Formats: sequence, structure tokens, C-alpha cells
Amino acid sequence: MSVTGLSPNFKVAFDANSQVFSLAGVVRPRSVDEIADSIAMLKQAIDDVRGVLYVDVKRLIQMNNTAFHAFVRVALDACRARADLRMVIVTSSVVGWTTRMFGHLNQIEPQITVEVYDSTFYPGQSFVEDTSFIPILRTQTKMTWRHERSILPRHGLRPGIAIADVCCGIGDFAVLVQKEFQPARIVALDHSKASLAYAREVATNFGITDIEYTYGDASEMLLEDNQFDFVSCRHSLQIFNEPELLLKELYRICKPGGRVYITNEKNSHCLGEPRAQSIQWTYNEVAKLFSHFDMDVELGPKSRRYLADAGFDDILVESFMVTNLDGDPQDFADVITAWENVYAGEMAVRRGDTPEFIERFRQGFRDHIFAALHPKGYAGWPIWVASGRKPT
Amino acid sequence: MDVGNSVPAEAAFEPLLQFEMEMGTFLSEWQHCDHLSTYLARMISHNRADPVRHSNFFSSALNELLEVSFRGGTASGQIGLSIYRHGPVERVQITFPCPAEQVPFYREAVQKIDRSDAHARYLDSISTDMAPSRESILLDLAINFDASIRIEESTSPAVTLIVDLPLEGLVS
Repeated sequence: MSVTGLSPNFKVAFDANSQVFSLAGVVRPRSVDEIADSIAMLKQAIDDVRGVLYVDVKRLIQMNNTAFHAFVRVALDACRARADLRMVIVTSSVVGWTTRMFGHLNQIEPQITVEVYDSTFYPGQSFVEDTSFIPILRTQTKMTWRHERSILPRHGLRPGIAIADVCCGIGDFAVLVQKEFQPARIVALDHSKASLAYAREVATNFGITDIEYTYGDASEMLLEDNQFDFVSCRHSLQIFNEPELLLKELYRICKPGGRVYITNEKNSHCLGEPRAQSIQWTYNEVAKLFSHFDMDVELGPKSRRYLADAGFDDILVESFMVTNLDGDPQDFADVITAWENVYAGEMAVRRGDTPEFIERFRQGFRDHIFAALHPKGYAGWPIWVASGRKPT
Repeated sequence: MDVGNSVPAEAAFEPLLQFEMEMGTFLSEWQHCDHLSTYLARMISHNRADPVRHSNFFSSALNELLEVSFRGGTASGQIGLSIYRHGPVERVQITFPCPAEQVPFYREAVQKIDRSDAHARYLDSISTDMAPSRESILLDLAINFDASIRIEESTSPAVTLIVDLPLEGLVS
């Protein structure tokens, strides 16, 4: 159900199966009467649930005190009337005031607890947000930029437009776009505070002041609807367990007629000569390893389907191969070393792989490095680029 | 007259933005509170470390002040709003005409913020009030936004609330 009497963005829903009552958007009524339907829905939800009622305010962007008091009063009255009822209010670390305001309720009524939805919103987060990965991310972007710089204009990037770079990581792509394409506005969002701190430092060192770095959850962004001409999301759909959710958000913030640009890999297609067999075996195993943690690093060629299913039209897909012949081969080797450290050194260990497996797994990365640095060798890392237009 | 809680010693607050509107026009539409707080918050937050989240936080606080003005203001005269910055703190100075007999209530509400039982009274307000009082809104700002609030009174029937919001620290 949507309540449209106030802000069109205010949404109230109750999912009886999971016993989740959710409030989303902006709710700033003048009087309680304006939210009477929503209050009634909460009361009905309370009547219907057994045990725990989850109150999801992760996407509650604004709520004035009038609405806060009204909803809280219902919750407190219910807890006083029903000793069997527990309420868990789920807030987001992104919207800071919700955790502060709702956080008081436990002091009034112990049956109400507040949980901050934060560190576990996608399974691979601990690997991806590992700060030891930061230096190599810069090298990766340097290598991919050589290709994307000329690819991006074909997908709609041009000077003077509003851009959002979602899952910006350490923000180096945003810096390159800012320098090369001079957008009117560029917002760069990520969920890693360490990466954002690094991004801000780099921007400061380069004297760049007009990139708006923001901490946020890509699947539930604070950014408003229909704001950006170009929304990029690079190497990220493949590490979310629910890429459809992410695409829905990218679609939402994109202006009608604007484009969403995504890049993803198909890791099993990484290649090298010599020692091709060992390399291929390892990267096939990389795909399986990520799959174990609910990540799909084979997503690249599926981009067209994902974009179509999300409602985009005029979908463009192309691919490019980062190789050891792009610039310094040692850069390529450094990236593979970082992969080996994280994939074999951390993820395979976490999965519980045997030392024998891990040794063979490592060997493929070492052979890829060997191929990259071999005077007659060739090593490649393929990437799929896709973009779609949001219909007008 | 100047009444208020622990506002730091006057520092070099730089003006960011000034806004005036006929009170009658302001009172003609409740949504002015939401629209103004959203728009002004976005403007002044653009060069904060995290503009999107700073804007969200600031809009929450500013909206409550505008709603207090809306509910308590009278139609004659102007509402004036100035926003200043000093380091991590934004200062909101909001002036609105109100009935003379209402002024003591604002003064009392601001004074109560400083008392040791402020937190308990805030919890009591959440727990028992069907609708938030002007006192509980100011307590909300002090407790949830770490605001320092003081009040200035003039000879005209108007109230000026000066609210310092150290949101940059909260957001980061």
C-alpha cells in the first residue's frame, strides 16, 4: 500500500509472512489525521502478528516529530497491552537520526529493541570492503580506464551532465570522470567508510573539491528519484547477492532518458599463455568460490538480461580485455597477486578448503603472473560493459 | 534578553544563507516547511564531507524549527532565517512573529533544555504525549542532534531561536 496524501515518496507496507511493517520515504504531516491510514495499518499489523514484529525504517528518509510520536505511541501502547509482543525496529546506519530517535524506545519499553542494519547487507561485504585491497584498486582502475575512457562516450557520458557513481570504492573512477568529462555534478557513493576516507584524501590532494562523496547503501540510497543523467556502477552487481535490487535503485535515481552504465566480469574467462590450463582451472574455481559466497563473478555477459528485466531500453553491450600489454606488465602482475592473497589466502580458507586445494588454486594465479611478465607471454582479464536507457 | 543553554562562546560564524518570507505566505501552505528545509539543507550541505547525509540530517532539524514557527507564528510580519557556519557547526537563526503572550512559553522551553532531567522529560514526552509539544521538539533537537539552543527576544512580538547544530561530527 502506498499513502500518497503527504509526500508521494511516503510508503507504508505490512508483510504478514515475515511480520515486517515498513515505513519508507518522507512523512512530515501537519496532524496525525493525515497519517490515520498508516497508523491503522500498524495497529492491524500488531493485532495480526505473533511473537516479533519487525518495524523496518531503513528507508525512512524523513519523519517529523508529529509522525514519530504517533507511531511510537501505538507501539508503546501495544507493548504495554501485550506481554507476549516484541518489536524490533530496524534502522540504517546511513540515516543517522533514525537510530538516535528510535534508539530511546528501549529505555522506555524493554520489549522494543533497535537493530542497526549495516555490516551484513551483502554476503561478500567483508572481503570487498577489506582495506588491504585499497592500493590494488587504484591499479585496477588505472588499467580499465585506458579502455573505458573511450568507451564511456558511446554509453552517454558527456560534459555538463549530472552523474552518480554508485559503489564508487576508493573514488578514483569519479576523479578520472571529473577530470576528463567535467560533469555539472558528480556524486560518488559507497558503503565502505575506509574507502570513502581514502577517496576524500585523494581528492583533496588533487585539489578536487566538487565530488560529493557520500556514505550509503547502494540498494537503499538516500538520493532522490530521477536526478542523474548518467549512473555508473562498476564491478559491483557481481558481488551483490541480489543484483536486481541494486539495478532497481540505479533505475530510480536515473533521469528518464538518462543511462545506467554497468561493468562486470566473467572471471572464468581470464586467460594467459603460457600455462593456459593451470590459469583456466584456477579462474573456473574463482567463479565457484564467489558463488559459494553468493556472488556471481560470471555476471558480465548476463548484463543485457539484467538491464532488460530492470526496464531499460536501448541496451548497449560490449567487452574489452585488460592485458599485460596495457602499460606496465608489473601492474597486471600486482593485481593478480592481490587477487591471490584475497581469493586463496582469505576466501578459500574461510570456505574451509584443504591446503592441497589452496596450493593448486594459488598456482593458477602464479602462472597468470608468469604469463603476464613473460617476454613473449600474454595475460588477459575480460570485462563486460553494458548500459541501458531509462524510458522517458 | 538572552536565555539559553550551553552555546559556546561567540565564535566567528560565517554567513551561508539568509532567507525572508512574508509570514502570511509561509502560513498558507504546510508543505513550505518540508520544501524549505529540504532545499536549504541541500544548498548549505554541498561542501560538507558527506553532502547527502549532512543534508538529510540538517533538513530534519531545520524542518522541526520551521514547523515550530508555523504552528506558533502569526500572519503579520516576516519569518527570517539565517544560516551560519563555524567549523563543524551550523547555526540556524530563525525569527518569527508570535503573540506576545506566547513568548514566555518559548523562553521556558529553552530554559528547560539545560536542566539535568532533560533526557527523562524527553522520554516522558515520547511515552505520553499524543502530539509533540514545542518543548519536546526543542528537547529532540538538543538530545538527538546535539543542538545548543538559545532564545532572543525583542520589543516586537517575535521570537528568535538560535540553534547550533554540530552535525558534521555526527554525520562523519
